Amino acid sequence: MHLQLETVAVFAPLLGGAIAGLFGKKIGDKAANFVTCTLMLASAGSAIALFYDILLKHDPRTVQLFTWISSGALNVSWALRFDQLATVMVAVVTVVSTCVHFYSIGYMAHDKARARFTAYLSLFTFAMLMLVTADNLVQLFFGWEGVGLMSYLLIGFWNEKESANSAAIKAFVMNRIGDFGLALGLMATFFLFHSLDFKDIFAHAAEMQNATIMFLGHGFGALNLICALLFVGAMGKSAQLGLHTWLPDAMEGPTPVSALIHAATMVTAGVFMVARMSPLYEYAVDVRMFITIMGGLTAFIAATIAITQFDIKRVIAYSTMSQLGYMFFALGVSAYSAAIFHLFTHAFFKALLFLGSGSVIHAMGGEQDMRKMGGLYKKIPHTYVMMWIGSLALAGIPLFAGYYSKDMILEADFARMGHVAHFAWVLGVAAAFLTAFYSWRLIFMTFHGKPRADKHTMDHVHESPPVMLVPLYVLATGATFGGWAFRKFFVGRMRFKFWGKSLFVLKGDNVISMAEHIPSWAGHAPAVVGVTGILVAFWLYMKATKVPGKIVKAFKPVHSLLFNKWYFDEIYHALGVVPAFVVGRILWKTGDGKIIDGLGPDGVARVVAKGSRETSKVETGYVYHYAFAMLLGVVAFITAYIFCVQR
Amino acid sequence: MIEAIFFYLFSAILVLSALMVITAKNPVHAVLFLILAFFNAAALFVMLGAEFIAMTLVIVYVGAVAVLFLFVVMMLDINFAALRKGMKKHLPVGGAVGLLLLGELLWIYKSWTPSMFAEQSAASPMPEGVTNTHALGQVLYTQYLYPFETAGLILLVAMIGAITLTLRRRGDVRRQNVSDQVARNPKDVIKVVKVASGAGVEL
Amino acid sequence: MTAFDFHDMIVALPEVKLAAMSLALLLLAVVSKKENYRLVAWLAVAVLAVTGALVACGTHGTAFGDMFVSDAFSTYMKLVVVTGSAASLIMATRYLEHEKASRIEYPVLILFATLGMMLMISANSLISLYMGLELQSLPLYVLAAIRRDSVRSTEAGLKYFVLGALSSGLFLYGASLVYGFTGSVDFTQMAGILQGHASTLPGIVTGMVLVLAALAFKISAVPFHMWAPDVYEGAPTPVTAFFAIAPKVAAIALLTRVLTGPFWGMMQEWQQVIVVISMASMLLGGVAAVAQTNIKRLLAYSSIGHMGYALVGLAAASAAGVQAVIVYMTIYAVMSAGAFAVVLMMKKDGRMVEDISDLAGLGKAQPLLAFAMSVLMFSMAGIPPLAGFFGKLFVFQAAVAEGLYTLALVGVLTSVVAAFYYIRIVKVMYFDEPKKAGFDATEDRGLKFVLALSTFAVMFFIVMPAPVLASAHAAALALIP
Repeated sequence: MHLQLETVAVFAPLLGGAIAGLFGKKIGDKAANFVTCTLMLASAGSAIALFYDILLKHDPRTVQLFTWISSGALNVSWALRFDQLATVMVAVVTVVSTCVHFYSIGYMAHDKARARFTAYLSLFTFAMLMLVTADNLVQLFFGWEGVGLMSYLLIGFWNEKESANSAAIKAFVMNRIGDFGLALGLMATFFLFHSLDFKDIFAHAAEMQNATIMFLGHGFGALNLICALLFVGAMGKSAQLGLHTWLPDAMEGPTPVSALIHAATMVTAGVFMVARMSPLYEYAVDVRMFITIMGGLTAFIAATIAITQFDIKRVIAYSTMSQLGYMFFALGVSAYSAAIFHLFTHAFFKALLFLGSGSVIHAMGGEQDMRKMGGLYKKIPHTYVMMWIGSLALAGIPLFAGYYSKDMILEADFARMGHVAHFAWVLGVAAAFLTAFYSWRLIFMTFHGKPRADKHTMDHVHESPPVMLVPLYVLATGATFGGWAFRKFFVGRMRFKFWGKSLFVLKGDNVISMAEHIPSWAGHAPAVVGVTGILVAFWLYMKATKVPGKIVKAFKPVHSLLFNKWYFDEIYHALGVVPAFVVGRILWKTGDGKIIDGLGPDGVARVVAKGSRETSKVETGYVYHYAFAMLLGVVAFITAYIFCVQR
Repeated sequence: MIEAIFFYLFSAILVLSALMVITAKNPVHAVLFLILAFFNAAALFVMLGAEFIAMTLVIVYVGAVAVLFLFVVMMLDINFAALRKGMKKHLPVGGAVGLLLLGELLWIYKSWTPSMFAEQSAASPMPEGVTNTHALGQVLYTQYLYPFETAGLILLVAMIGAITLTLRRRGDVRRQNVSDQVARNPKDVIKVVKVASGAGVEL
Repeated sequence: MTAFDFHDMIVALPEVKLAAMSLALLLLAVVSKKENYRLVAWLAVAVLAVTGALVACGTHGTAFGDMFVSDAFSTYMKLVVVTGSAASLIMATRYLEHEKASRIEYPVLILFATLGMMLMISANSLISLYMGLELQSLPLYVLAAIRRDSVRSTEAGLKYFVLGALSSGLFLYGASLVYGFTGSVDFTQMAGILQGHASTLPGIVTGMVLVLAALAFKISAVPFHMWAPDVYEGAPTPVTAFFAIAPKVAAIALLTRVLTGPFWGMMQEWQQVIVVISMASMLLGGVAAVAQTNIKRLLAYSSIGHMGYALVGLAAASAAGVQAVIVYMTIYAVMSAGAFAVVLMMKKDGRMVEDISDLAGLGKAQPLLAFAMSVLMFSMAGIPPLAGFFGKLFVFQAAVAEGLYTLALVGVLTSVVAAFYYIRIVKVMYFDEPKKAGFDATEDRGLKFVLALSTFAVMFFIVMPAPVLASAHAAALALIP
């Protein structure tokens, strides 16, 4: 295996992570940082070269590494699948990750375990790269689990904080529910296709569209079942409504982690997976309908929560969730390229926002509550500008990256006929308004108005060092020009050549083409509501600063609902945790406990322990006992046979 | 006819003496019955035309093994009566299992037919016109070289094992080493010292 | 009458060379003035390395009038055996010196035992089988009793010897029955004969059962297992380690060859025996180990259980099953080597200890050692993604594919019970309060090396299982095309 760009792009982070993780204590924090950053840079460089090579010169390829499991029908080999879709993802992941690596040199400068941190970051990146370059579902699953594990470690990085630990566990458990779905989907896929290679699965997808699988006594459309199960996995990873509660809590991790995990990489894994499996999803019409509804609801509900939150990172976290909702309903209406385009632009501006907010938090000495900020714009002008750029892109203001992608999604959605798509469109436009609103609410509360922090904190507010600012500039460039520059490739006239065969859409069902023919008012709606949102925010938080409080009072129930995140955590607690306690107590009190305990764990344990003592007693130590046991065994076998043979 | 008579004679004595080996009260008697059993077995081998094996049996088993047993039995004062005490307790179960096995083997014997492939697959048929010993000698170092050499290795290992487990170099016993004694030079071992009065000698 | 053929020597080159080198080493050890144990031991390791290389590049074919066979299966199993022997020699050195039991015969006996195992694996007739079996067993009896001033060691050796003699007797009785009914001792001819009607004759079935019983004794499968706990506990620990690794692999290989070779036509019959033995072994291995306090005894029961799992694959009687057995035994050998390396490191205040409770507090005192042991225990319990899980997965898969659902179910259930005592060790290491201070830090690099290697292999088997699986597949195809 000679050194190829592909291998460098994927394995350089692994090498870096291994060095920093294993030898971090020996070589010191500085050296660990240097090694991981250099290798990430190499990885990102290779990825950009590949981006040029594969996407712009239309040359997808697969790099065979080695055969992994070869056992009977199950034949799995390790290969790096560098088609157009994977290359886009690799480029996004490595570039954002490189920025985050450099940024965290500054951000984590005072932490005790910098080497460990940077090792985790690199290993996380590697797991994500493994996921996106997977050539088969097993490898994808490997990367998927790796990402889950590393995110657990990263979210819980400050393990002396109680809340960080519980957030990490929550993220892990929630993801596990999703992973269970994914694993079931994997098994169903193998059951149906007798292969886990994408190549084989995609080749036979069309033949299987009418196949059924018996499950729980019912026949299900096989592809619908598989896609639904896989989507459960995607919901967990990409924090869709229902399995989303871990995402905001995960903000307990260090801010660079939030930028890496919750902006550009882990949460987009679900989107990527659905796009990767597009040849199956195209035939699973019902599931796609479900995805559209879930996406729309997620986009809207997350946005409504975001307008009431005060923690600067949580606002951005909910905004991430909302943007993921956009991507999913784009997937639901078969606008895969639009979804990936939004993923691409979103990675830049959301990483920018996270790192920018990290810069604010850094400046404020760890304060995250926006109610204690205000009036910062003069003290940290660079960060201020960066946050503006990020917000402009997020709100979909024309010329900035988010505008092109979000617009495309909403247009495609509108072009798709049917109630479901239009329902999602309405939710999407409403969410677009809310997005602009909460973005500027964040900016005005943080940077404008009178300083609400105490004087001591304000005196210490300082602009971040260059090592943190340069990554911001890089991301800002992407957030500003990313949409405009790549629009024609991702969703414009070059799109067919650009994507090649990596995304699959049924013939005669191209919503992207249809999107060019929608009425102009529908096309302009997102941008218009975006600007309106900014103006409303300006009015409420700069001019009539008393009004928000009044609104809250007037609509107390609604506000409580939003402020408490639609009570998801409480509902889960009530549905899952409390009943378990109640049922347990009833069983215990009514005395059933004796039966269950007696026959269940305790009983089994007692029987085993007793059996163990008894069998040990047989070991008397006398040779003739042993010899007699052997003879008995032989005689028993022979006797059994003699009677068998005679029969 | 005569052959059959002798066969049954030797066999009967063989079985009876084998029985006596395990029932005799006096251990020395038991070993002597064992020797008798060996002799009868050797006689049976002779009748089969395997005189080499018969002679080996007599020389090795009677001449070496059984005599060794005799020595062991005489030198170790084992109270066999005490050992046999458990016999009554274990006899019912042990006897039942033994009888069951015996019955089964008899039943197997009933179903025995000479293999139809015996003739063609017989490894080395007895060549015409040579003695049994000669015939064995012809195949032992050629056709059966491999198991023969392996047997040699097994015996070597047995020897190493016996030495390892029994040879004891005792540190507290002085052994004579002639070459050391001869090579001993007075110059190396005798030291003449002048002792000052009142002072000790440092050895 | 076949004369001596030079080709025979080429096919059996590794064995011939090993025999010659062992004899030379014995000569060297005896002639040299001072007892230089360490030199002899390392030379023995070198001899094994050379043998391994010869095996790896050996010629396939039959030799000595079809009594000896060399094929992909024998090559693979011999490599595992030779590696296991070498590992146990490396592990033994310091321990024996410390316990003043470093006798130059030790490496030599190990070499002869290894030779016996190689002959067993390559046996292609009942005669060569028996010869190999005895050449393997005899050194083992001596090794078990090598600390002749220790009562327990002597007792272990004697017990093993007496019961081993009984099993040899069973084998010979069975072999003579089979020979009497088939008229052949050659595996290839026997296979042809037993393919037909002959297989239903009760005499042959009885003979086969007796042969199986003798071989089951060698792998300590229930109900022929009772020697194992006593011998494992009584024998010096390095000897126990050797017992647990190489002879087991060789005996399983022999059992596999016998069942898939000459007795292939009686598959219906032996399958039932193997199923019963396998179930009983898994049950006993799982249940009886729970109450043990001595770690060597515990590992004895664990090894009984492992043999049960390996037999699950054999019971499947398919190429996939044989492949699973091979993979399982490879993983088992690696795990056992690691586990015994840890046991050999259990030293407190200069004295060896072997109680499970002595492991308490290891997690804090020596985190790396405790981690390695935990990995090995989790792997033995069959917890993914460690190697042990795949071993179990493959045997169960093979059993299910052949419709042996009950067997697979019993296997899964007993592995749950077994997981209890493996994980208990982990619990003791990390959560129990130590009575006394922790272990002395070991200086033995050989021991560390073996432990590191096996832990690494167990952890990262999942990354690159292909070489093992592919060679095991090829080996299985050599037996069941």
